[in-house]
Amino acid sequence: MNRSRRRNCNAVNAASLARWIVMTAFVAVAGLSYVYLTLQLYHLGERRKAVENELVRLRTQNDIASGQIAALTSRSALQRRQKEGYLTMIPISEANIVRLTIPARAAEEDAIQPVANPSTTR
Amino acid sequence: MNPNSRGRCVLVCVVFIALFSVFSFRLIYLQAIKHDEYAGLAAKKHVYQQIIHAERGSILDANNEVLAHNVPVETVVADATHLNNVDAIIEIVSKELAIPAKQLGEKLNSDRRYIIIKRKVPAATASALREKLHASNLRGIYFEHDATRIYPNGSMLCHVIGFTDFDDRGIQGVEASMEEYLHGQDGYRFVEHNRAGQEIVPYRGQERAPRDGYQVHLTVDLGLQNIVENEIDAAMQQYSPQKATIILMRPRTGEIIAMANRPSFDLNLRSEAKPEQMKNRAIIDVMEPGSTFKIVAAAAALNERKLRPDSSVFCENGLWNFGGAALHDHRSFSYLTVRDILVKSSNIGAAKLALTVGDQKFYEYIRRFGFGERTGIELPGEINGLLRPPQAWSKISITRIPMGHEIGVTPLQMTAAMATIANGGKLVMPRIVKSITTPEGKTISSLSPVVLRQVISPETAKEIGEALRGVVSDSGTAAAAAVPGFVIAGKTGTAQKVDPHGGYEHGKYVVSFAGYLPADHPEFVGLVVLDDAHTSKPELNYGGLVAGPIFSRVAERAARYLDLEPHEEIRKAIPVQRVEKSMPAERGRKPAPVERIALTNASQN
Repeated sequence: MNRSRRRNCNAVNAASLARWIVMTAFVAVAGLSYVYLTLQLYHLGERRKAVENELVRLRTQNDIASGQIAALTSRSALQRRQKEGYLTMIPISEANIVRLTIPARAAEEDAIQPVANPSTTR
Repeated sequence: MNPNSRGRCVLVCVVFIALFSVFSFRLIYLQAIKHDEYAGLAAKKHVYQQIIHAERGSILDANNEVLAHNVPVETVVADATHLNNVDAIIEIVSKELAIPAKQLGEKLNSDRRYIIIKRKVPAATASALREKLHASNLRGIYFEHDATRIYPNGSMLCHVIGFTDFDDRGIQGVEASMEEYLHGQDGYRFVEHNRAGQEIVPYRGQERAPRDGYQVHLTVDLGLQNIVENEIDAAMQQYSPQKATIILMRPRTGEIIAMANRPSFDLNLRSEAKPEQMKNRAIIDVMEPGSTFKIVAAAAALNERKLRPDSSVFCENGLWNFGGAALHDHRSFSYLTVRDILVKSSNIGAAKLALTVGDQKFYEYIRRFGFGERTGIELPGEINGLLRPPQAWSKISITRIPMGHEIGVTPLQMTAAMATIANGGKLVMPRIVKSITTPEGKTISSLSPVVLRQVISPETAKEIGEALRGVVSDSGTAAAAAVPGFVIAGKTGTAQKVDPHGGYEHGKYVVSFAGYLPADHPEFVGLVVLDDAHTSKPELNYGGLVAGPIFSRVAERAARYLDLEPHEEIRKAIPVQRVEKSMPAERGRKPAPVERIALTNASQN
């Protein structure tokens, strides 16, 4: 490379370039963040609406159930059902009784014991 | 640059400056001066106020049993600017909501933007419609949350509870009188929709949460109300009266613990009810009270110390000509004590009691007992009754009013008057509302008893009370009103029905019985009124024979329900051993029902 050509070359200002790159990157990140956050806002709005709808649905179901309970347990309804013969005492048949197996007990367990824990110290 | 070129440049610059100045001024005009107006117009196009409906408060009885509450429904509405396929929407909506397609088409093609398609749509139907519209990708139909009022007990306590209109505003009963508490405050939210009609949540504007209505707790006990309703139904079946009323009230506090009228109606089918069925006759019907009103004449005479309970009054042997008109007794009496005038229900005796105090004083006592004015109960439509001032009385009025003629009272006024005797002479304002609470249970208002005035002295009230015990004895007019195991006090009434065309209707009577129990420490006062009861024989149509037994049955069941102690003397008379054998340990002090039957006022007096 001859001397004249070397003289025509400009040196790259690294600091300036870095500054521009950082600034551009900052603006780009800021822009992308803005877009991302805006989308997040819409997305959260959608979720909020969905949760609100679900709450309304559950509350509605609860209110309907409360209404049904009130209607079925009202004095008039119970009296009507009593007249119709739906409310009667039915003895439980032997076949429907599930008995737990009574564990075998040692003879001394049935002995009368003082109402206190046995002493752990001697 | 030559002068011409320079001049042209200046001209172009001036033109541009002028042009941009115009633009700038226009911009400032639109953005600053007209900002609010155009922002409003833009908001009107995209933003609308969504109403968040408050839930109406429930009505509960004294034991928190539900009397009226809400069930969610939906209002189906359309936004005309969002409808994307009107024909398809009409087809689906008309089918799901059972609306004629033509009618729906007219609605949707109207000029309005906000169109209400159908109210009170059940949640399940609305849900099915929503899914069908969504599946067909149809837009413009919205669902607004709403609620409808239901009454789990149907016709029970219907006249007291009342009902609401189409817009959920109370129009009768407690629903109307407590409207300001029951009706909550609607909230709102400003929302913005996109082109598809979906809400853009981030753009939500101002918002206010709704405040649900308060809960109203009544003094009525549904257990007692049930007893009263069953007995009034039995009475309607047995006597087929035109109208009937039964009231139970606590004399010390004025709490109405039961109130039933017939005819009645089912609150859930109120649109099918006739106006006659909807009247709360306890507060809006005027009746001539008949002999129950004699307590006022006796109270006036005794309280003014004109006579003593054992003073004798000549009862003219059953026929007395006064002021050119004859006054009869149902039986011939010569001399009766003041006490016996009430026990035997002598018209002539009562007239003479009133004459001892005079027109003006007697009128004052009638007013002091609360007649001629509203009791102040928290129910709409209560009337004053009919009471003329002494200046408007005829010469014989002073002899007719003491026996409950020439005066119109409401059943509630009569109950309050009897409660005055039971309450040591204090007139207490009847109340139907016990308290008002938030849906979370916090008490907003708790209503206390209101003693209006001391009408008569406690001594006079006691003297009248003792006389009224005799009414429910073998020698009185209402032996059939006796309650097994208890000493009760009461008074019968049999008044001929007033003919709207003048005079009285032959063979038609309003029979009544007002009494309280136990006589020593009254827990409740009761009134039974039957208008034009039909008995097997006309001579059996008397208060003591018709209303008395009804009162007896109501009072006996009510006493059991309230777990009242039987009268001390009756309790002592029962062999302890037999009681202990037949009763559980905690109830051992009370006599068995079978034994109680024989021990009534009859044996006490």
